[in-house]
Amino acid sequence: MSYTKDYIEKLFTGNNITLNHKNKEVFEKFIIDEEIIQSVELISNQQKSIMENWRIRESINDIINNQVQVPNGTVGKAYDYKFDFIQLNWSNIIFSEFEGLDEMGLSYDKDEERIYGTPTANGDFKIKLKFRVKGENENSTLNEKAINLIINADPKSLWQNKESDKTDRFWKEDNVNVFDKLGTKNIVVSSKRGRSHANVGSFRDDDFAFHHFEKTGWSVIAVSDGAGSAKNSRKGSEISCNEVVNYFEVNFNDEVVNNFDQLILNHYNDSNSNSTVVEPPIEENNVTETITDAEVTTNDNADIVKETEVKESSQVQISKFIYNYLGGCAKHVYNKLEEFSNKNEFPIKELHSTLIFSLFKKYDFGYVVLSFGVGDCPIAVINKDLTELKLLNWLDVGEFGGGTRFITMPEIFTSDKFYTRFALKIIDDFSYLMLMTDGIYDAKFVVEANLEKLEKWKEFIEDLQGNNEDNAKVVFEESNTEIANQLSTWMDFWSPGNHDDRTLAIVF
Amino acid sequence: MRRLPVYFLLDTSGSMYGEPIHALNNALSGMINTLRQDPQALDSLWISIITFDRDVNEVCPLTELAMFQLPEITCPQSGPTHTGKALELLYTKVQSDIKKSTENQKGDWKPLLFLFTDGKPSDIQLYNEIAPRVRNLNFGAIVACAAGNLADDSKLKVLTDDVVHLDNADSATLKQFFKWVSETIEQGNKSQGTGESVALPPPPSEITLVI
Repeated sequence: MSYTKDYIEKLFTGNNITLNHKNKEVFEKFIIDEEIIQSVELISNQQKSIMENWRIRESINDIINNQVQVPNGTVGKAYDYKFDFIQLNWSNIIFSEFEGLDEMGLSYDKDEERIYGTPTANGDFKIKLKFRVKGENENSTLNEKAINLIINADPKSLWQNKESDKTDRFWKEDNVNVFDKLGTKNIVVSSKRGRSHANVGSFRDDDFAFHHFEKTGWSVIAVSDGAGSAKNSRKGSEISCNEVVNYFEVNFNDEVVNNFDQLILNHYNDSNSNSTVVEPPIEENNVTETITDAEVTTNDNADIVKETEVKESSQVQISKFIYNYLGGCAKHVYNKLEEFSNKNEFPIKELHSTLIFSLFKKYDFGYVVLSFGVGDCPIAVINKDLTELKLLNWLDVGEFGGGTRFITMPEIFTSDKFYTRFALKIIDDFSYLMLMTDGIYDAKFVVEANLEKLEKWKEFIEDLQGNNEDNAKVVFEESNTEIANQLSTWMDFWSPGNHDDRTLAIVF
Repeated sequence: MRRLPVYFLLDTSGSMYGEPIHALNNALSGMINTLRQDPQALDSLWISIITFDRDVNEVCPLTELAMFQLPEITCPQSGPTHTGKALELLYTKVQSDIKKSTENQKGDWKPLLFLFTDGKPSDIQLYNEIAPRVRNLNFGAIVACAAGNLADDSKLKVLTDDVVHLDNADSATLKQFFKWVSETIEQGNKSQGTGESVALPPPPSEITLVI
């Protein structure tokens, strides 16, 4: 038994016993003594067992000290995390279970080594992994490892609805919903305070106004979004919308409107001979003057107005009309805001508001729709059979979220882009003319490019008609007396990250 | 969904060793817990932490708050303060992290930067070169916080006009500071005019605005 011999030799060396010719014979007999062989074997087995035991304890210790990150969960959102025992170097775990998971509504599947379920409680939890590794007794006490598990609250449950301060000098109603006739059409508008404002008891910054001028047949709708960062923007948006209506009330008098009607008619007849109606382009060289005041002067630049060509003349004149009156209206709004801020002794930027407005009128041949926009709120008109869409304005969006332009910024009037803020559309009839603030657009269209897509607008209309997770439905019928409430309910849709004020005006 | 990216640059040089780093960890953890209770933050906030001593470490790459797990911030017992090197790393991170608006992509809110230090930059040449470049990166706000009497307020002015001073880096003061930070963060996602920056809320009495 060479093992016995080796062992005894090492033992002797450790005890300072040297082997020589004198004790050699005894030694040879000693190592083949059955009792000695058995003793050595016993010792060897004990040592093996000690080593095995050490390895087990070391591996348990490694597992316990191993930093493991379990992803965070959110209340109400399905959670599923599978531990990768191989990657974690935990492959010697032969049994595992968790303690403390039921506290947050989760379970552990020990065969698949995964935590799953839908969390019901939020907080910073310490859950206990209880495990047994290979080599441990089947009835040994389980080892324990604490693991952090963060469960976020359901963001929906965290929003508070605090009333705004009614004694504030610029207080306005948190939510407004209206249904009305608007000339030959109907209008439904809902303007609601965003959750982010309700959460802190601040005000709705959005606003709107609309009016039908019986005498001239024109209707106007204005929508404005006060800047979240501007202190008195709720007043700015209110003034802006109301002043749009006021401006056209005064300036769209019979004479002005009759002239324009004639221009439109001429233009229609001219282009009708070419079978399709063409909208006169609003081009820079058609409208060279800079709007400097609400008082609008006409430009008699002979280079532009060529009497010899009737068609071009009516186009140019239409362009100039739009530029002068809609641009004049924008400037009027700016002047009123400036006046208000001066009177109240604060800088005009505290009234920062975006502004879009649209005018429409029914003619024998169809509808003429005009528009102006500054800021990030879209205006669109969709034809009767939902096959054609026209986005009437481009959006002022910067490189970064939330960066936009406001009607309160004087530089927009001197910018060489000013003329591009207007649009004209001639259409047989339309199903919807919509104006909305970014609270709707951000959530439903997400990016600018989608505003150009008819498909997206059709989806949006279907959404309004009930194709949504809340089954909120707006029935677009003149006889529907509930329509304003229906739209109001629809406006409460949930969209993560989109908690701004929402205003949606729909002419149908 | 629009993200609000927030960067924390934290001084972990030798002078922070002991009580100050402990206080910093507590205050950060308190701030994260506060923010977790804010539904707006939970929806939009993304956080990154970069520490600097002799080495610069991105201890947390930009991560959404809901998924964020605060690591223990540690520091060596001694060593220099490489603020410049930290800003250099930040500069590259911001370039690659931040999403700008395009026709087909929702841009981030302007990012915010909070720099916390209790000393002066040891790599002063690099600092002087990089700080103005970071300043021009179009942050919604850059707040530099100098804690204790060894911190150099005037150097921080190169980076931002918004420099605040804390008399010391004890637990109570840091807690106040990071509470104010979370209030500032809550200002970060409001619509502004192009080119305007985020308005800072009034700081509590423990914090002195350096003019």
